[in-house]
Amino acid sequence: MNANGATLVASNIHKAFGDHEVLKGVSLSVARGEVVTLIGASGSGKSTFLRCLNLLEMPQQGELAIGTHKFTFGKGMRAANDAKLALLRRSVGMVFQHFNLFPHMSVLSNITEGPVQVKGMAQSEANELGRDLLAKVGLADKADTYPSRLSGGQKQRVAIARALAMKPDVMLFDEPTSALDPELVGEVLSVIRGLAAEGMTMVLVTHEMAFAADVSTRVGFMNAGVMAEIGTPEETIRQPRSERLKAFLSRFHEAS
Amino acid sequence: MYVWEFAALKPYWGLIWQGLLVTVFYTVTTVVAGLVIGLTVGILRTTAPRWVTMPLRLYIEVFRCTPLLVQLVWVYYALPVLIGVDMTPAMACFIALSLYAGSFYAEIFRGGIEAVDVGQWEAGRAIGMRRGKIFRRIVLPQATQVMIPSFINQTIMQLKNTSLVSVVAVGDLLYQGSVITASSYRPLEVYTTIAVLYFVVLFPLTLIADQVELRMGAHR
Repeated sequence: MNANGATLVASNIHKAFGDHEVLKGVSLSVARGEVVTLIGASGSGKSTFLRCLNLLEMPQQGELAIGTHKFTFGKGMRAANDAKLALLRRSVGMVFQHFNLFPHMSVLSNITEGPVQVKGMAQSEANELGRDLLAKVGLADKADTYPSRLSGGQKQRVAIARALAMKPDVMLFDEPTSALDPELVGEVLSVIRGLAAEGMTMVLVTHEMAFAADVSTRVGFMNAGVMAEIGTPEETIRQPRSERLKAFLSRFHEAS
Repeated sequence: MYVWEFAALKPYWGLIWQGLLVTVFYTVTTVVAGLVIGLTVGILRTTAPRWVTMPLRLYIEVFRCTPLLVQLVWVYYALPVLIGVDMTPAMACFIALSLYAGSFYAEIFRGGIEAVDVGQWEAGRAIGMRRGKIFRRIVLPQATQVMIPSFINQTIMQLKNTSLVSVVAVGDLLYQGSVITASSYRPLEVYTTIAVLYFVVLFPLTLIADQVELRMGAHR
């Protein structure tokens, strides 16, 4: 943990793809047990920023500290090696929009793969952990099923269990319900809500405004590569200050 | 009306059998060597920097786009002159067939590896796995599945391609066929028999391939 009590501190993160500057100095500090939701139009940089938090995207400038893992990015800095990145990612779980389950492994093996292969946990112990996690996400009966047999909502719950199996300090969710049929969104959100209630530290990118307002300790609005506003859900969603955020939220209200 | 006289082949069964063994031997050894070459080159082409991949690309295209017959002759007659070593026909055949198979397998491996969704790499990285492990445990098993049909296809071609070794007087099945034809004057019976033997060896292979494909795709 850092001096200021934050689990995760990202400072002045810059990222460009070619000439296109996606992140123009984004900072975020997340305290233990906090749930921070990032909202914003597509192309605002929120997913890229999230992916910078476990270094699936490598920032070109800035700093990242999660637990004891510290990285500084910039010209002249040595690129972090594969081993150091792998260590960071052990303690940061990630759930993807498109689940990315391993199709050639059973549901249980998907979950035990990390603990066994990365942490060297005994298979029997990992199986027990896996079954507990499956029960937690409501899929105890699906252990021996293959991912192709599951609905989108079930896949995403398995993906959450797979991330939790590493016992991460922080969980990142990249639009976890965007690829789901509307009637399957609820089951995934309720699992995430349960994690929030347990005090799991989380950063979410989502378009589910009502959910964000309900579950978050803070909501950040990203626009054109910067963190335009961040505050409690009350402040950000109910009393937006900038015209941009007002316009963004009103488009949502029209849609729903 | 032509009268088929398969009985005329009776004195030659020993030779035919010997030829079949040589054919199978060249197929097995060059498929194994080709796989090693192909897997190495295929992996390097998907991961290595450009100065490595460019010469590999050159190798692949040269061997894919020139006739195997020419490659055999070239390795047997030209290579010894160029590098100053003695080359037995058997060695030349092994080298040419392996490099030829390797060039095709390399492309099959590369295609299979690249067909695996990039999200699979990301999911592996997200749970803290390192590159080598992601490749072995996540990507390669999925790539293998995609590759199996092309792989079997190429291996069948390889067995048939070994018939070209007869041009440098290696005694494979086809070579023995031409020898027997010369002394028995029964080309139709000889070549029909040889075709049946190729078929008998290869057809079960396709059946096994179907089974493997079915089993490996069970979760789809």
